[in-house]
Amino acid sequence: METKKVVEIAVLAAEILLSNGAEAYRVEDTISKICSSYGLTGECISNLTGIFISITGPDGEMVTSIKRIRQRRVDLYRVELINSFSRSLMEKPVSYEEAKRILRDITDAPSFNLGIRLMAASMTSFVYTLFFKGTIPDAIVALIISLGIYFILQKIDEVGFFQFLQYFLSGLLIGALSISIQHLLPIIQKDNVITGAIIVLLPGVSLTNGIKDILYGDYVSGLAQFGEAVLIIIAMSAGIVSALSLFMKWM
Amino acid sequence: MFQQTVLAFFGSIFPVILFNIDRRKILWAGFCGAIGWIIYSLVYENTNNPILSSFFGGLTVGIYSESMARILKTPTFEFLIPGIFPLVPGMMAYRTLLFIVENNMSSAFSSGTQTLAVGGAIGFGIMLATTIFKFISRIQKNRKKLLTKL
Repeated sequence: METKKVVEIAVLAAEILLSNGAEAYRVEDTISKICSSYGLTGECISNLTGIFISITGPDGEMVTSIKRIRQRRVDLYRVELINSFSRSLMEKPVSYEEAKRILRDITDAPSFNLGIRLMAASMTSFVYTLFFKGTIPDAIVALIISLGIYFILQKIDEVGFFQFLQYFLSGLLIGALSISIQHLLPIIQKDNVITGAIIVLLPGVSLTNGIKDILYGDYVSGLAQFGEAVLIIIAMSAGIVSALSLFMKWM
Repeated sequence: MFQQTVLAFFGSIFPVILFNIDRRKILWAGFCGAIGWIIYSLVYENTNNPILSSFFGGLTVGIYSESMARILKTPTFEFLIPGIFPLVPGMMAYRTLLFIVENNMSSAFSSGTQTLAVGGAIGFGIMLATTIFKFISRIQKNRKKLLTKL
C-alpha cells in the first residue's frame, strides 16, 4: 500500500483514540502497530491535544501529518474497538478501502442513548449516597439533583462550553439545591446529598490516565491530564464552597 | 459490610455506563469495584488506617484490572476506572471543604492532607500493580535475550 494511504489510516485511528480518552502510549503503540503491519516504520508523538505522525516509505519517502484534537470525551468502547482493530491488522493486513470502512464503522459504533445515561448518572448518585452512609430520602434527593445536573451538562456540551465554568456552575447548583432542600425538609442531610451528587462529576478517567501516562514516561500528556483533573476538582469545590458560604450567611 | 459490597458493585457498574463501556464487560467492571472494596474494608478493620487500606484497595484493583485486561484482551482502564470509584475519598474531600467554609483552618489542613494521602495511596497501589505486570511482560518478551546473556 502507498505510504500516504497508511498515514491516512493511522491518523484516522489516532484521532478516534485521542478524542475518546485513550492514553498517550496506547496511541503511539497503535500507530506503530499499523505501520509495521504494512511493512513501514513510523514515528509518532502523542499529546493530550494532538498527534504528530511521520512514516518512512520503502523508497525513503517520508510522509508527515499533524492532527489537532479539540473535542474530547470518554468512550471506552471505541478505544477497545480500535485496539482490537490494530491487533487484527498485525495478523492480517487489510486493503485501504477495507480499513477505511472498518474505521468508519467504529466512528459510528453504537453508544448508550441519553435515557440510559441519565438513568446511570442518577443511579450512581443514589448508590453512592447510600454507600457513604446516607439515608434513603437523602439518596432520592441526590438522585433528582444529579439527574438535572447531568441533563444540563449534556445539553451544554452540545453547544460547547468552557470547562471551568461548567464545573463551577454545577458545583454551585448542587450546593445551593441541597442546602435549600435541607431548609425545606429537615430530615434531609445536605452533607450526604452533596457527597452523593458530586460523584458523577468526578474526573476519574483523567486521574487514572494521568497516572498511567506518567508511569509510561509520557510526562507531557500525563501531567496535562492530571492538571485537567485538578482543575475540574478545584472548579467543583469552588462552586460548592461559594454556595455553602453564601447560604450559611443567609440562613 | 455485605450491604456496602453490594453497593460498591452497583457503584462501579453505573458510572461506566456514562463512559460507554462494552455491554459484555459491565459485570466484570462491577466485580472490580466489589473486590477492591472488600480488600479495603478487610485491611481497614484490622489496621484502622485509611491510607494503608486505600493502598491495598488500589493494588487489588490494579492487579484485577491488569489480569482481566490480559484475559479478555481489552484496555486496562476499562476496569481501573470503575474500580477506583468506591475508593475515592469523596466524604473526606467534602469535609475539608466544609471546614474551609467554617473558617476552621487547622481541621481543614489535617483533613485535606489526609484526603491527599489517601488519593496518593490509591494511585501508588495502581502504579505498583501496573509496573509489576509491565516488568513481567517485558521479561517474557526478552526471555531469549536474557538467557543468552546469563
